[in-house]
Amino acid sequence: MIYLPIAEMPVNVLLVLLVSGGVGFVSGLVGVGGGFIMTPALMFMGVPAPVAVATGASQIAATSFSGIMTQTRRKSVDWRMGMLLSIGGIVGSASGVWLFERLLRLGQLDLIVSLLYLLLLASVGFLMLREAYHHWRGREVQGVSILRRPIKTMAHTLPFRLRFPRSGLYISVIPPLALGFGIGGLAAIMGIGGGFILIPAMIYLLRMPTNVVIGTSLFNVLITTSLIVVLQSAATQTVDLVLAGLLMLGGVIGAQMGVRLGAGLKGETIRGVLGALLLAASAKFLWDLVIPPTEHYVLGGGLG
Amino acid sequence: MKRLLAALAFLALCAPAAAQAPGDVASDLPAGVAEDSITVSSDYRGSYVTVFGVNPDRRGRGDIVVVVRGPSESAVVMQKRRVLGLWVNGDPVRFSEAPTFFAVLSNRPLRSIASAQSIWRYQLDPAASAQLETSTGDTDPSAYRAALVRLRRGQGLYQEYSSGATPDQRGGLTMYQGGLFRAVVRLPANAPIAQYHADTYLFRDGRLISAQRIPISISRVGIERRIHDLATNVPLIYGLLTVMLALAAGWVAAFLFRRT
Repeated sequence: MIYLPIAEMPVNVLLVLLVSGGVGFVSGLVGVGGGFIMTPALMFMGVPAPVAVATGASQIAATSFSGIMTQTRRKSVDWRMGMLLSIGGIVGSASGVWLFERLLRLGQLDLIVSLLYLLLLASVGFLMLREAYHHWRGREVQGVSILRRPIKTMAHTLPFRLRFPRSGLYISVIPPLALGFGIGGLAAIMGIGGGFILIPAMIYLLRMPTNVVIGTSLFNVLITTSLIVVLQSAATQTVDLVLAGLLMLGGVIGAQMGVRLGAGLKGETIRGVLGALLLAASAKFLWDLVIPPTEHYVLGGGLG
Repeated sequence: MKRLLAALAFLALCAPAAAQAPGDVASDLPAGVAEDSITVSSDYRGSYVTVFGVNPDRRGRGDIVVVVRGPSESAVVMQKRRVLGLWVNGDPVRFSEAPTFFAVLSNRPLRSIASAQSIWRYQLDPAASAQLETSTGDTDPSAYRAALVRLRRGQGLYQEYSSGATPDQRGGLTMYQGGLFRAVVRLPANAPIAQYHADTYLFRDGRLISAQRIPISISRVGIERRIHDLATNVPLIYGLLTVMLALAAGWVAAFLFRRT
């Protein structure tokens, strides 16, 4: 047991390491950041939602930085696009932290976070299951065929176009800025990195080539989550350094194990199982919101 | 018995402790705490507060009430309402003052020791200690007051005992021969880290005869203190430090990964 100085509660070190290691393992296995599993896992462990969200961001920053180190060696980061996304992300996460603080004061933070997670986990879980199912049936996933068609999207028709040599694109700056803004806001409120929303959006919306997508997304995630950690520390003082250290340790070790084991496993099987797990977790969030509560009063307006 | 003698000797030492008796009440009630400062380090899992004292009445008449209070802060209680099939928080009622920790111990049920007015006047139970903010609109505040006490009791922050400590209770007040009493309260790990007070009251025939206030400080030490001080005093630097830790962890991970 170790006492967390900011959360003001003792936690079982082994349990936190196991959970963060498990989440890191899954993220290494599937290739997602894992913030959207880590934050709810912390909340289920009894960590107050504000601390879970704000502290989770620091762990995501660690994971994404280690990912970037690998990606830059492969020269697979579109820096210009990354900067543009990050400018949107900075404004978005600043607004997100502001909204987070407002909701915390109003006593509505838990509700909003639960609702967002409900929607997010359900949709990601559904997409993963569908992908696994199509793969199992030997069909191509619908999205891939769209990708191959040379359709012009919004990104090509809007004004303020800019050239992105690394991605080989000549598109408007508005969609990347808007995308960065939206992801940054979600990241600040939900304690996620947002890579699993950003990556499909970059492929389908911006038409970026897949080889630069991961590195660029990691860059954006690193910038926004780092900023969120600093802003949350200043605005709500909910970042717990001890918890953050434990999460980083467990997450990093778990991710390495996951990457290694993942090489020998079928991706679609893992995705299918994870998709089912996410759907189950979203059902739990829905259940908690729908069933009549045994206690009709709650303490609100703070960390309590 | 040895422990009791030690306690008595201890009492002789701490008897001249500063007294803050309410109003016109005497403060000749000798009482002390086993530890007047509790430290919170990284292995903190809560602690115990032990209050010793002696009933000054030679014939042992009267009843003892011990209250351990944490600092008062504002609190908000909300009621769950059904909106579009979902249970959401609504109708907030604000308390300008509510104790963050409150334990009341007595040798027999409080209601048979003191009148309702005395309980209210001296704030001897958690409900009496919660001050409503003036404007509550048309909502009934009594249900909210009860809910506040119930919720905090569920968190172990409000405790009430009217007998000696038993194995299945976390605290209690025990009377010994010669008017000596000993009150023990379990301070859970989620109780706020702050300045506390242990107040000891002597009631006779429902009237307050004597009272004594003893401060108890709970404070962080070592690394816990440094981290907390950083986070509250220089939050910006604290945030940057956390980010640097994250970057260092990420760098180490990438380095190790390349090696293997």
